[in-house]
Amino acid sequence: MQSANMLLRRIVRSSVLPFVAQHGMKKDLFPLNRTLSLSLWLKQDKSCEPSEKVDLDEWKKVMKSGLQEEVSETASEPKELSSLAAARETLEMWRLAGRAVPENISEEQLKAFMECPSKSAKKKYLKYLHLKELYKKNDKRKMDEKRERRLEAQDQASKTDETKKSPLVCLWSSTMNKAYNWRAAQSMIFGQPLVFDMSYEKEMSVREVTNAVRQIVMSESCNRRSVDPFHIHFCNLKDDSLYHREFIKNYREAWDKLLITVTDQCYTEIFPKDKLVYLTADSPKVMKTFDHDKIYIIGSMVDKSIKTGVSLARAKRLGLETAALPLEKYLLWSTGAKNLTLDQMMHILLTLKDTDDWKKALEFVPKRKYCGFVNKPVKELKKTLDLINTLKLGKGRGKVEKQFDKNYSKK
Amino acid sequence: VQPPEKPLQTEEWNKLREDFHLPEVFEEVMLNSMIRCNSSVDVAKSLLTHLAKCNGDIPYNVLVKYLTLCVQQGQVSEIRDVYDIMKVRFKILESGAYNLLIKGFSNSNQWRMALTLLEEVKKIMIPSRTCYESCIKAASRHQEMKLAFELYNEMLAEDVVPTLDVLQSFFDFSRGMKGAELQKDIFDILLYLRENQIYPHKTFMWSIKLWFESLPGGNWRGRLTNINDSGQCPVCNHQLEDSNLTEEEYSNLSERIIRDVIHGTDTFRKTSPKELEAFQTFVENRLPFDIVIDGLNVSHIKSRKMQCENLFDAVSCLAKENARLLVLGRKHMLMNSSNWKREIMKEMQNKADFFFAENISEDDAFLLYATLRSGKHCRFVTRDFLRDHKACLSDSLTRHLFRKWQRGHQIVKKKCFPSVFSQQPAFRYDCVVQTTGDTWHIPYKDVFEEKYSFQVPRKWLCIQQK
Repeated sequence: MQSANMLLRRIVRSSVLPFVAQHGMKKDLFPLNRTLSLSLWLKQDKSCEPSEKVDLDEWKKVMKSGLQEEVSETASEPKELSSLAAARETLEMWRLAGRAVPENISEEQLKAFMECPSKSAKKKYLKYLHLKELYKKNDKRKMDEKRERRLEAQDQASKTDETKKSPLVCLWSSTMNKAYNWRAAQSMIFGQPLVFDMSYEKEMSVREVTNAVRQIVMSESCNRRSVDPFHIHFCNLKDDSLYHREFIKNYREAWDKLLITVTDQCYTEIFPKDKLVYLTADSPKVMKTFDHDKIYIIGSMVDKSIKTGVSLARAKRLGLETAALPLEKYLLWSTGAKNLTLDQMMHILLTLKDTDDWKKALEFVPKRKYCGFVNKPVKELKKTLDLINTLKLGKGRGKVEKQFDKNYSKK
Repeated sequence: VQPPEKPLQTEEWNKLREDFHLPEVFEEVMLNSMIRCNSSVDVAKSLLTHLAKCNGDIPYNVLVKYLTLCVQQGQVSEIRDVYDIMKVRFKILESGAYNLLIKGFSNSNQWRMALTLLEEVKKIMIPSRTCYESCIKAASRHQEMKLAFELYNEMLAEDVVPTLDVLQSFFDFSRGMKGAELQKDIFDILLYLRENQIYPHKTFMWSIKLWFESLPGGNWRGRLTNINDSGQCPVCNHQLEDSNLTEEEYSNLSERIIRDVIHGTDTFRKTSPKELEAFQTFVENRLPFDIVIDGLNVSHIKSRKMQCENLFDAVSCLAKENARLLVLGRKHMLMNSSNWKREIMKEMQNKADFFFAENISEDDAFLLYATLRSGKHCRFVTRDFLRDHKACLSDSLTRHLFRKWQRGHQIVKKKCFPSVFSQQPAFRYDCVVQTTGDTWHIPYKDVFEEKYSFQVPRKWLCIQQK
């Protein structure tokens, strides 16, 4: 077998290489060039002997022949790779094998990849990067399409050359922003405080922190746009903490101009203890009404691995009052955890503040998590259900029959 | 997609591709279905040839798929060729291809090639479990037990967990072999089972039995048996190891329960420092208890009855034996309500000590601590499997210790609570692989599936040296 292979190789080499040399190929064979030359050679070959039967091992010849030059190169190369380079190579091979691996990966990401503790962690991280890359590409594609469309529209407009006169003054976004900021500034002076507790950095992974920060950025923007904004406090925010760095990444130079209060102090040092209410899903107490004199605290924590009781423990330690949203009371809960994202919390609290209408406020709970609104508390519904079941199962049938007899006799 | 029966010409492949709705992944889908239908290699080859003609190159993923087909059919020369091509074409390969190559070579007479490849893999990553397994099996199939054990130890050193399949192959292939070294290595495997509380399944158990019986001049004899509650083996009358922990293990475990389960990352999550301290002084002043009861858990045994009646039944039933009882509950039990009648609670408190935790505290962790502090003779009553508490313990050794202790000390007396829930009575013997030198006792499972970690097999293999 081996010797036959060798022979084959020799034949192939002798027949292909001169041909390649004639065509003046350089040392680094471009795959494209190679393809051309090879297919040419194959075509010639075919024209020489029109055979009906497929030569099954032809692909091997093709694969080997085009690579002769490269072989000599790789053979002379030292085999040793640094661990980073080896990881990069491995990733490239995985990508070729069709796994979910990003095309481009930065040194930083590569290091993060190598520090993943387990194989599954590595896989997850790569998949995450891969998806991120895909989203980015798609966004870019859409932007480009949009730009083209806009240019076309402009061309059209310039051709028609008609300026539309509108009776309304166009409200530019900067004007809107001024109005919003004016409101936010007022809230800084007169608004009801709302605290984000930034003391959970130790409990979170880097990715959870970035997610938390993004949610807070969203909450802040929807607060700014509301009719009557809260006065937002970021408490326990240490300088140069991961949170802080992420905020600066998100806001850039706007960070110093935000109309919110940022402090490394604890909320217990700023506000009287009896006014604070810590909102946590694990709280045994259920919130009945929104109190305009209380200061609500939201724990800025994203926990992908469900760590129960972390924020409740914080509140217990500081001896604060706690409350949970009355989700059970108003919603027929179906699936999912009862901890909501920070921006959902913000929406709910703002709506409560403005309208005091639980039904309206709880519309911000994701639709997938509940089946519908309940007008009666679930406990009562359960009783009714039990009653129906007992009737179905025939327990207490005597009563029902008596009832029936009564009704029947009346008729 | 149905793969064709015989090799096709380029034109025919082209036609098939055009008919396919996603032309760009045509080759992959085609090869996948070939692997599924186990088509002949020639068909795949004709597809590759077609690709090579069209593009002058064959992408890596297609080569890997072709390799899968070759490994599936044991076409060694083809595997060899693909490997040569890959080696030339790519600087390094990835784990999928290495797994396939090693598996392919290890099942052939070129199995030494698999070992060479394993060395190559080690340069760039920790080889996967399947790589090691293929090599180990190949080595032991060719009676190279020393080499196989070297690989096995290397695997353990890398923290790669072997499957039962590999462990079984050691017993299968070294049957009837001589050698003190080999015996020691095999006994090490049995001790590995013991340390990790692994129970072999039925076929594995047979392999072990046959290996022992085939030992030249060993005079070993294995028999299957069930062990009764007293912990005495009916075959050889040997008393199995006691399920009680040593003093050191007890103190170790209570410390860990305090540290990992009760405190965890934040004492306030399950209790509060004040409450914990109060509980600890309460327990220390009243030690030792005989039975610790999870009041809330027991009170829910019969849903028809009032909760405090359930608890009352349990307490009065257990108090008959003059045992010192501790009942753990929560403060809401003291509030007079439809489920908790004050008179009944009063009466119970004459029969047992009560400790009421805060309503939002975890009472289970207290239960564990009180039982452990009371010592060996103390048992606890709950229907809970205590899985979440086991999960709080940080290392597997302590977790095993916890399960062993739980098996020996948890009771649900069926006499008092004829509930649907059934749990084996507290075990008096320890359920692990064990030896005395001239006997081995090995518990085994009927089925391959993993049982719950709180259940243990009841069937044993008893091996004796005559």
